[in-house]
Amino acid sequence: MDQEHIIAELLAFIEADPPSDPAAADAAFEALALKVFAYQFQHNAPFAKFARARGKTPRTVKRWADIPAVPINAFKSLDLTCRPPEDCVATFMTSGTTLGGVRGKSYHATLSVYDASMRRNFAQRFMGGQERMPLGVLFPTPALLPNSSLAHYLDLARQHFGSPGSRHLIGPDGIDIDGLCQDLERAEASSAPYGLIGASFSLVHALDALATRGRRFRLPEGSRILDTGGFKGQSRELEPDAFYDALAMTFGVPRRRCINMYGMTELSTQFYDDGNAACPSVKSGPHWIRARVVDPLTGQSVPDGATGVLAHTDLAHFNIVATILTEDAGIAVDGGFLLLGRAAGAAAAGCSMAVDAFLKAASAA
Amino acid sequence: MTEHPILAARLPGMNADALGHVTQTYGPADAPVSIALPKLDAAAIAAVAASVKTATRRTLKTYPVARIVDTLDAAIARLLDRAHPIRRQMDRLLPRLTGYDADMVGLGLTRYLMTFRKPELLRFLAEDFPNPAILDGFQPLPKGGYGRAYGADLTAHIWAGNVPGLPLWSLAAGLLAKSGAVGKVPTAEPLFAGLFVDALAEVDPALAECIAVVWWQGGEEAPERALLEAAELALAYGGNAALAAIRARTPITTRFLAYGHKVSFAMIGREALDAAKTAETARAAAYDVMRYDQQGCFAPHVIFVEAGGRSSPERFAGHLAQELQAFERTYPRRALSLGEAADVAAWRAAAETSPGGAVIGDPAGLWTVAFDDGTDGQFSPSSLNRAIRVVAVQRLEDVAARVAPYRRLLQTAGLACAPDRLFALSAELGLAGVRRVAALGDMTAPEAGWHHDGRFNILDLVEITEIDGRALPTADRLAAYVD
Repeated sequence: MDQEHIIAELLAFIEADPPSDPAAADAAFEALALKVFAYQFQHNAPFAKFARARGKTPRTVKRWADIPAVPINAFKSLDLTCRPPEDCVATFMTSGTTLGGVRGKSYHATLSVYDASMRRNFAQRFMGGQERMPLGVLFPTPALLPNSSLAHYLDLARQHFGSPGSRHLIGPDGIDIDGLCQDLERAEASSAPYGLIGASFSLVHALDALATRGRRFRLPEGSRILDTGGFKGQSRELEPDAFYDALAMTFGVPRRRCINMYGMTELSTQFYDDGNAACPSVKSGPHWIRARVVDPLTGQSVPDGATGVLAHTDLAHFNIVATILTEDAGIAVDGGFLLLGRAAGAAAAGCSMAVDAFLKAASAA
Repeated sequence: MTEHPILAARLPGMNADALGHVTQTYGPADAPVSIALPKLDAAAIAAVAASVKTATRRTLKTYPVARIVDTLDAAIARLLDRAHPIRRQMDRLLPRLTGYDADMVGLGLTRYLMTFRKPELLRFLAEDFPNPAILDGFQPLPKGGYGRAYGADLTAHIWAGNVPGLPLWSLAAGLLAKSGAVGKVPTAEPLFAGLFVDALAEVDPALAECIAVVWWQGGEEAPERALLEAAELALAYGGNAALAAIRARTPITTRFLAYGHKVSFAMIGREALDAAKTAETARAAAYDVMRYDQQGCFAPHVIFVEAGGRSSPERFAGHLAQELQAFERTYPRRALSLGEAADVAAWRAAAETSPGGAVIGDPAGLWTVAFDDGTDGQFSPSSLNRAIRVVAVQRLEDVAARVAPYRRLLQTAGLACAPDRLFALSAELGLAGVRRVAALGDMTAPEAGWHHDGRFNILDLVEITEIDGRALPTADRLAAYVD
């Protein structure tokens, strides 16, 4: 199958409502997943080598869950792409906080599928039935961060779902707190819902800056907040309950409308919860992505209710690899999964040493 | 069935029952072990420290070092007796606490305890003191005058939990220096230190009063500060970040010795890879990888293998994989936490996808051999837990330069090579920062009296009081018998 056809199939799959019968929905997902696997096996040489080393080829893989999961670490050393990198329109990179600053890369031959995936999902999971609302983006623009998938995602939200006046509230000099206060005051004065969207750590910076000014807001009914990505050492670390309490208190948005998005550079589709009235919240994705909870060493699904590492099969990530093995711990529950934080990076005990600690010590030597 | 919680602490002069406890449960779901860890606040730590100091002045300080050696020897003899109740408790509980295979712990413990018998303790002393009588009385100093070595009234020991038995090193060294000890056990393995004190108490209860075993929740600062205030000397084991935090809380008047992150590696010469020796070499290397699942600082992270032998480095990697598979049957790897398993998976993926890299692995991830044909060729850390990288090199003489960037971290090099190369390679490795060269297969079992991280075990714990060389002639003039 060529790129044009796989894109057409994917766009149609994303746009169509999935069959209401679960067995039919499973079959539809499986059929397309196997096509995507075959496409990637044919066009993505490093992935094909990786799959072959595990005895996984389009001839042997009969179930979507048997598609080999590529550890996200491999995105750092391999050019996992069906089209040559130079033909790609966007390269999203991880922040490179581990492994000596080497960054994982996802090459996108087109953003049409990524964007379709994002739009349909965001409309369903964040917009609450509204077509547009004023959106304040607490993250830099794509112009400032051209390799950030999150910058692209948030700007797409602003373009497609933001009403006039929606804007980025972070520039080269950091958060524009005056601008944020103005927008929040304007939203308070209107009766129309307002959306504040951005990185979790940027929201902490905003909370801290507003607390310094002694400012609190009561945004209109229907307003909502989207945070994503955690704190990553960029802000102080808050327990989820403390974080969502602070958001509710400062912006007057109830915790059930504070939505956390779980996304990754190594995916083209995001997971959302239905608010954070209670933590940890259940995360789920649309019908073109599936999550499994696996043993990281065997790749096999763990028994129901056991903790494992999350593996995602995202059909929209068609140019790269469909199934990735994350380093995030999770547990399957009804309607989705609970995200339990990072599984890797277990601190080495005593005088032995973890990889990160080694790199740090060596760079000091 | 759950058992009555086992008390981890030893608190001389204090009623442990009067303290609150945290009960921690360890081990497999079908055979859990409950350990009671007493909650000690700063005041309680200060009281324990005072009690240890009093006992130390009353007993330990008055003992000749030979008596301390004999007492330790008798306690170790009890622990070497696998029928002795305390040893049986160790054999029964330590594997469940740590998850290590019971046979591996049992054999490892015996081999380890054997390095603390009387002949070995005398070796410890001889390594550090040309005349160990300097610990008992003033002895002539080469420069003139007289000197006597004094250990601290109280040494604080802050231990890490990676390998069972670690506290014995510093406790034995501290006792030989006639220093009282308050040792803080890690939550991961809080039992060994107290059981050792029990064995000591069977031989000499008064001497056992000179050691307290305490615990507090990691990160609690007040009790740690209280201990560091009370002690003259602090020995701390662990990760560099944890050590830095402890050092920051140590008063300037308390001497601080840190035993931080170290890494080790192995080197195999082509002469160890002929038809008759390859299997033996691979078994020795696998043994070093298997022991305590590489959790000790002397465990190899990388094995550099020289090309040009009968077995190529790649074939050696295959042999090593076979031996690891065999060890998996006799001494299975402990169950990993999800985080540890994810670390191994990430390490494996990185090895597999690096240029010139390949992986031979057990499908369930119980062990992994990564092979690097030399394209990368660099020293890099393992995820541990029986994950080892074999790096092909043209000449073993090239290895020292590759490990030199990590000189602050290097500890042991396990060598398999001919004697004429042993000294030449060791000279280069020493220059690069390596502090111990051992035979392959012996990496994880340092011999008695070895210089831990290149330092002195007992000498580092004492201070010398010296009588100035002119003091005696001057005193002579005041003697009654002088005309």
